[in-house]
Amino acid sequence: MANYNIDAKKDMTYDAIVIGSGISGGWAAKELCEKGLNTLVLERGRIVEHVTDYPTMNLDPWDMDYRGRLTPEQRKKHYKNIRSGWVGADTEHFWADDEANPYTEVKPFLWLRGHQMGGKSLLWGKQTYRWSDLDFEANAKDGHGVDWPIRYKDIEPWYTYVEKFAGISGEALGLPQLPDSHFLPPMELNCVEKHIKGRIEKNFPGRNMIIGRVAHLTRPLNGRGQCQYRNRCSRGCPYGAYFSSNAVTLPAANATGKLTIRPYSIVQSVVYDDKKGKATGVRIIDAETNEDLEYSAKIIFVNASTLSTTQILMNSVSNRFENGLGNDSGELGHNLMDHTYRVGASGIVDGFDDKYYKGRRPNGIYIPRYVNLDEKTKSDKFLRGFGYQGGGFRGGNAANIESFGAEYKDSILKPGPWEFFITGFAECLPYHDNKVSLNKEVLDKWGQPTLSIDAEFKENEKALNKQIQEDAVEMLDKAGLKDIVGFDNEHPPGYGVHEMGTARMGKDPKTSVLNKFNQVHGAENVFVTDGACMTSSSCVNPSLTYMALTARAADHAVSELKKRNL
Amino acid sequence: MDRRKVLKQTGLLAGATVFGPSLFSLLQSCREEPRLDWKPEFFTEEEALTIAALLDAILPRTETPGALDVKADMFIDKVIAHTYDEKEQQGMRDQIAEFNAQCVKKHGSNFSDLGEAEKNEALKTAEANSGKFSRGVWGTAVGEQEPIGFYRAFKSMALWAYTTSEEIGEKVLNYDPIPGGYEPCKPLSEVGNRWSL
Repeated sequence: MANYNIDAKKDMTYDAIVIGSGISGGWAAKELCEKGLNTLVLERGRIVEHVTDYPTMNLDPWDMDYRGRLTPEQRKKHYKNIRSGWVGADTEHFWADDEANPYTEVKPFLWLRGHQMGGKSLLWGKQTYRWSDLDFEANAKDGHGVDWPIRYKDIEPWYTYVEKFAGISGEALGLPQLPDSHFLPPMELNCVEKHIKGRIEKNFPGRNMIIGRVAHLTRPLNGRGQCQYRNRCSRGCPYGAYFSSNAVTLPAANATGKLTIRPYSIVQSVVYDDKKGKATGVRIIDAETNEDLEYSAKIIFVNASTLSTTQILMNSVSNRFENGLGNDSGELGHNLMDHTYRVGASGIVDGFDDKYYKGRRPNGIYIPRYVNLDEKTKSDKFLRGFGYQGGGFRGGNAANIESFGAEYKDSILKPGPWEFFITGFAECLPYHDNKVSLNKEVLDKWGQPTLSIDAEFKENEKALNKQIQEDAVEMLDKAGLKDIVGFDNEHPPGYGVHEMGTARMGKDPKTSVLNKFNQVHGAENVFVTDGACMTSSSCVNPSLTYMALTARAADHAVSELKKRNL
Repeated sequence: MDRRKVLKQTGLLAGATVFGPSLFSLLQSCREEPRLDWKPEFFTEEEALTIAALLDAILPRTETPGALDVKADMFIDKVIAHTYDEKEQQGMRDQIAEFNAQCVKKHGSNFSDLGEAEKNEALKTAEANSGKFSRGVWGTAVGEQEPIGFYRAFKSMALWAYTTSEEIGEKVLNYDPIPGGYEPCKPLSEVGNRWSL
């Protein structure tokens, strides 16, 4: 039990303020507190204590009134979230209220949010991959977007730093396009996955199929227990086996005695002082009392989640920044990206009916990017690339079997056929016209302007998806699967829940919002280290990169503070 | 003797769920038809009898409990009462009525009143005309999903209600709430039935 200090009444002034307590905000809090700064974390939702606030973590289906089904009232509250397919009665309390927090889809876009302490770090997929120079050089090479102001060598030590504390399991392979992390032992492939790995790697030189690299402990670390293979992660893990702010970074921040976390704090704006030429604090609305309050600090980390962070910057207007904090370039709100998602193939595997597994592994397989790595693998159909996640398991839909009665009933108690699927995640280019803007017509429950989201996948992403599906079918075919179904659910952006961009890093203040240390151009004591900062989207999962960028920026912030540069 | 009348007279439709042997024998003595010994929240008595008969035909008692043994009919009634909106509830009523109308047309009475051979025939017809679910990836159907008829959708619900009941989930299937580790390639003979969770 962490016993957080939530009393932010006594003190309105701190060394640092962190807006948001999700994956990147939790890291900012930990780093700043450990470096000795009195830090206030502003969280718009409630406190979620590790373990004690995970009410469903041990429930079996029959322990729940409707065994996980949502009531019409719950579906109304989550009328947008439920499109994801992830929201059930077991996790409903960790997804934001769509009715109280509206947004406008100019084009279809799913914006999934977690409005509580820990944010979406309670709900994320835990797939954890380093980016490479293939990613950091991509914009410079093909001219889309602006160049990243950093390269792999700049972030490499910070990847190692955060991995050692977060705990990442995986297998080292030495692939240049997917650098190895500092790994805990990998989880294991099951026999069908091993078999398919062999067939794919033999038939397609240059392609690898590996166990997913994940932020799950496969051995105890810093008092946290290892994964017990229950696969009930999104309800909160009683062992603290997966990385979340609640289990990992916030307890560490709290242990320093430097942390204050204020729940129910909706950030209205960052206060910018025109005379001082820097930000001086943060204005909030108390979500429960509607009271307006202002907190002051020397440095401010904005980690509200990609689009919420940009929403706050847009709301932060001053004489110096009439169009939003740090928006000299006009790029604030632009270049929104997400990965394409749920396009791939699925099939049935024969020959392993006498094999099974024990344990519900919260992880699957990964096929790292193998196109557009070099001249030899260059595609003439699209830029950038894609990777696959997937897995093998005994499934089958017993309702489809054309039978009923005694024999049928006894048969459904046995495991079904082996299924195997792969589903691609493709890089999305940074398009200026994929954007968000403040909507002053539609207000939220607290009378604040909301976001209009206007983004779509374009020709390059469609070409990538076409290749993803074709290759997936071909790989499953060569692996000897039967009843193969290729699919493309044609999800609009947002479904990948990897929304990135809208306050990008760059070398030039004229074309970017943040510098190479994630400082806001023109307000250098404000840092943005969540997904909003991303200059391109890679095709691999971004959360590990947010963690590393945050630790790096916090280190820079404190060093600049000490030099009295901020 | 009219079954409804008896039930009304004895207070069964009014909500009595517990009744003694004398009432029991009264009901037994005047008819051979199926009866309902619980009060649904959503279903009419006729609908509940249809659902119960379907469950018993699809998942009967064998050496292991059947769907009615684990009260799948009562659970389905509760789920529809509390998790379906009005439109979905009406849809369920309409589909049950349509299914029974087909039974009446072909065999002369509602599904619950049919003999075993006729029930089998009705279900075989339903199996052939009810569509199939596409395979799913992470809870979403892949590829083109053909229309799913009442029977297939109900069968899917029946399987869910049955396998997620405490008795089947804990005692019949392999219950292992905290596996503790992962054994990636285990002989099926060492496991037996499938894992329940």
